[in-house]
Amino acid sequence: MSRRAEGSGGRLSGAAPPKAPSGPAPPAPPPPAKSTFTVLFDGKAIEVPKHLNLIEAAKLAGVEIPHFCFHPRLSVVGQCRMCLVEIEGMPKIQAACTTPLKDGLSVRTTTDKVKNCRAATMEFLLINHPLDCPICDQAGECTLQDNSFGYGQQFSHYDERKRQYPTFDRAMIGPHVVADMTRCIQCTRCIRFCEEIAGTGELTFLDRGGRTLVWTHEGKPLANDWSGCAADVCPVGALTVREFRFRSRVWYLQKTPSVCPGCNIGCNISIESRENVVYRFLPRLNPEVNDYWLCDHGRFLSESLNLRDVEKATIRDGGKVGEAHVPAAVERIAAEIRATLEAKGPEALFFLGSAHLSNEENFLLRKLADHLGCANRDVFADRSRTRRIKSQTEWLSGEEAAANLRGARDMGATPGRGGFGLDALISGKALPEVIFVADANFSEIADDAEKVAALRRARFLAVAARTANALTRAADVVLPAASLPEKEGTFTNVQGRVQRFERAYLPKPPVRAHWELLLLLANALGFGDRNWTPSDLLARIAAEVQGYGQMDEGALAGGGLLKKGDFAWKGAP
Amino acid sequence: MEPVLTARVGKPNSRSIETYLADGGYAALRKVLTGGWTPDRVTEEVKKSGLRGRGGAGFPAGVKWGFIPKDTKGKPIYLLCNADESEPGTFKDRLLMEQDPHQVIEGIIIASYAIKCRSAYLYIRGEFYDGARILNAAIEEAYAKGFLGEDILSSGFSLDLTVHRGAGAYICGEETGLIESLEGKRGQPRIKPPFPAVQGVFDCPTIVNNVETLACVVHIVNRGADWFAKIGRNEKNSGPKLYCLSGAVNRPGVYEAAMGLPLKDLIFGDAYGRGMKNGRKVKAVIPGGASANMLTAAEIEDCPLDFDGVAAKGSMLGSAAIIVINEDTCIVNAAQNLSKFFAHESCGQCTPCREGTPWLYKVLTRVEGGEGRPEDIDLLERICNQMANGMTICVFADAAIAPPLSSVQKFKDEYRFHVENKRCLVGPKALVAV
Amino acid sequence: MSHTRYRIHEAGEPRTFPPAAMARIEKILKRYPNRQAALLPVLWVAQETWGWISKEAAEEVARVLELPAAHVDGVLSFYTMYNLRPVGKHLLQFCTSISCHLAGAGSLIERCGKRLGIGLEETTPDGKFTMIEVECIAGCDRAPSLMVNDKYHEPMDEKKLDLLLDRLSKEA
Repeated sequence: MSRRAEGSGGRLSGAAPPKAPSGPAPPAPPPPAKSTFTVLFDGKAIEVPKHLNLIEAAKLAGVEIPHFCFHPRLSVVGQCRMCLVEIEGMPKIQAACTTPLKDGLSVRTTTDKVKNCRAATMEFLLINHPLDCPICDQAGECTLQDNSFGYGQQFSHYDERKRQYPTFDRAMIGPHVVADMTRCIQCTRCIRFCEEIAGTGELTFLDRGGRTLVWTHEGKPLANDWSGCAADVCPVGALTVREFRFRSRVWYLQKTPSVCPGCNIGCNISIESRENVVYRFLPRLNPEVNDYWLCDHGRFLSESLNLRDVEKATIRDGGKVGEAHVPAAVERIAAEIRATLEAKGPEALFFLGSAHLSNEENFLLRKLADHLGCANRDVFADRSRTRRIKSQTEWLSGEEAAANLRGARDMGATPGRGGFGLDALISGKALPEVIFVADANFSEIADDAEKVAALRRARFLAVAARTANALTRAADVVLPAASLPEKEGTFTNVQGRVQRFERAYLPKPPVRAHWELLLLLANALGFGDRNWTPSDLLARIAAEVQGYGQMDEGALAGGGLLKKGDFAWKGAP
Repeated sequence: MEPVLTARVGKPNSRSIETYLADGGYAALRKVLTGGWTPDRVTEEVKKSGLRGRGGAGFPAGVKWGFIPKDTKGKPIYLLCNADESEPGTFKDRLLMEQDPHQVIEGIIIASYAIKCRSAYLYIRGEFYDGARILNAAIEEAYAKGFLGEDILSSGFSLDLTVHRGAGAYICGEETGLIESLEGKRGQPRIKPPFPAVQGVFDCPTIVNNVETLACVVHIVNRGADWFAKIGRNEKNSGPKLYCLSGAVNRPGVYEAAMGLPLKDLIFGDAYGRGMKNGRKVKAVIPGGASANMLTAAEIEDCPLDFDGVAAKGSMLGSAAIIVINEDTCIVNAAQNLSKFFAHESCGQCTPCREGTPWLYKVLTRVEGGEGRPEDIDLLERICNQMANGMTICVFADAAIAPPLSSVQKFKDEYRFHVENKRCLVGPKALVAV
Repeated sequence: MSHTRYRIHEAGEPRTFPPAAMARIEKILKRYPNRQAALLPVLWVAQETWGWISKEAAEEVARVLELPAAHVDGVLSFYTMYNLRPVGKHLLQFCTSISCHLAGAGSLIERCGKRLGIGLEETTPDGKFTMIEVECIAGCDRAPSLMVNDKYHEPMDEKKLDLLLDRLSKEA
């Protein structure tokens, strides 16, 4: 059914050989082959890479060719007939997506014929399309709406019964995807996604002609690891995500570029929030990491970011746990550390970083420990089943259940010379006086009674946390810490790529970002500038951490599109 | 003209290989394989003959064969015989396959040799159960006699031929729909280019030819390209042709004649249709199957039934299926019936056809049923004009608009009558009495 | 318009090809360069084995040909001759395309429906007859054309239809 449109060879532009003054002219060297084609869009010529589809080439020229079924990562099918354009030298209207690029191709997109054909396709698409906009989630990010508004007619000539698929409306086609097949425009993006990217082929056309619809084999639902992406590629509201259904109109959502916290692949996401509540994740394009995709595991972590048990700092005194102001709680921790430092030395301290925390945060923790002369530091991440995502060119996999184990290790949040790590702590081999856990939600260990008991053997246990667990309940001091959307920073992914996540909204006071809490503690212990921001910390990382040079916010803007391997950490200090 | 393609039809045991051999069958194959003909010589002969495809498109067969790339980069070449005959009004291939299967088989073998094909398929529509059985039996006979299989007639040329049954889809008669179906998929036509000769079935160079076209090849080899080219009005419209006559005539049937038989002769000639049943008058004729524009009674004058002759009348010869409609038939009713066919058979891939064909059917049903509105007539034309001429992946849409568009343009008064009077001009659904 | 084909009925029990059918399938597979190309012929074997192709039969075909079940469904529902639900012993296929329509297919269907007490797409309670309309079956010169299972009965008329139904009703 599908065929990638092929380019025919381009004409080489020839240069006339120079005329020699006398004697036969020497043979001219062959002109170098161009790596681009010259394509004209409405008379304006541009150079386009040969491998592009004509629709993509048009975009480079600033020309929009409306389309539905074309997707840069899926095979070309030329079915929707929206991308029709005039090609000079061809009498009939042509689909842009199936027209091979060639040198000198001249495309017209503004003629009356093109306008009429677009309007015709829009009319055909809308004659059976239900007027669901008021109740359809896709409204506001719907290609049908956009193209109708841009290229369609004001009214329809259709006055017959619309075809409907009542048993396939409001129906679960998979655990995460709701189908409303009456809205389907039969573009086959979802079918091609499941066949070509996911490789699972759950979806198919059934029946034919005007009765065609998309469905699964009964008993084999749309349940691959990336089923949410099928809803992403659907240009209308025929496939929508169940978890998001009816929760918000999309134009109210604030979009914040971020990185998925689900595993160490670090897929780029957009955190979509409204009034400080996360409503959903959407994938954010990064051809070198996750391309257009996001796995269901990561996508549906979005809800968990709204969970919060710890809203205020608490201090346990004697048997009682009482609320405290954050500065007071921090000072309490600092006092314990100072006292222990004096009485027992830095060997009696232990600092636990987190693979869920940013490079900036783990760096600050390490610097604080250094300042105190403490080599007892560590970081740990749970293992997960292999997660996979397809970049533009290859499959990436991740087996860590957190985004930043690699970055945390690169920052040096690992045992120093002569120091001990988490293993020793839990096994009982080491017993410090004071344990500071920068993120009590760092692992399932924090909810394991036995392991928490090991940590509790320390005289003083302080943590920063967002949600409650056995560790927070056992701690002496709990500081209220921010969730991912409430702070900014960088993660280092499985490829060694440093990627920035932005802040969507500020945490509700007195909750603070982990880096803020760490900075307060550092300041109280005589280290660090009280005005430091994550940017300052990043600059220091660039200066001090091997392999992380040449990094600043400019370089990271847009989500870490940096070359692989520039900052691969070669080993612990 | 002496029967060429139908020479054996109606004779006793016409299906058996013994009868075929006794009648000079497989002599053409012998000539080609043991008489020193190169594959290219066969192609040249077919090109010289002017043989144009008999499936509907009328593309010169020899030229099509020449599109196979010289270097196929190791890919095998396939010949597909298109026996999916589903165009309403067409039944000539059924006749050939059921009555004289070996003629078709021999044509397939010779064509396969010409294009260097090693494995050929005969895609036959599912409804032709008998046809498939008869062909399979004949193929078995051909294998047994060594006309199929390894090293045919010790020539070094080997060919396997497999009958592949369709299962009810007109669109599988479109060459790329056929290819998709042969590959075990929904028969949805492909984007062209690339063309099948370059990239066809299983991604290999492929030639798709109609049953009658391949049967002609036998006779071109036997009697020469010049003989073939001389039959008919001119060398662009040459050879013997099978015409399928149906509708309101006295003697419907398959008739063989030289290309260019006048349409009136076919309808009224004593050797052919013998005139209108019950003495009724011609109202309209569809000259080339449901996909062809209707002709009015006036337009059937001076209409040679060949590709250029019918094209000159603003229609097409297509599959040479001539359907005759008499004065008792409501044209709107006929158009509505034809639109139902196209709405059923649209594959559903692309927007204009998927949405347009049911829309046409719905409007025509309303108009035919007495619920038409004045604007419906213009609406039908509008819909048709939005569907064709490059709007779609294949020309099914161009075929689908032929009945409504040509009937609205040529019989507008009848449509107006329907809309204004809520009934047929010629009485309630008048049909030819059985 | 006509019936839809997106409901593939369940047989209610698993389907496995009997050895004779598997032998046929093995022979079929030899004629094609890959397994998917054998899908239409194998679906015919399934229909000949069970009379119709159920969801379970589709799964068996998918298993034998190593194809996704959804792909088999897509093909199954595209082609009208595969029965997606049980049909009567005699499948009466009335052509209603233009030449047969002009020859009175409509009144034949009406008569047949009245006689059997069913409408199009329906099966008689005794399971003997299912009546459907089909598009052109290339019997236009012998219009109106009727197929019963795999046999043509043409030209058909009301008298012949009565006799045919009489005969078929009497069959065991």
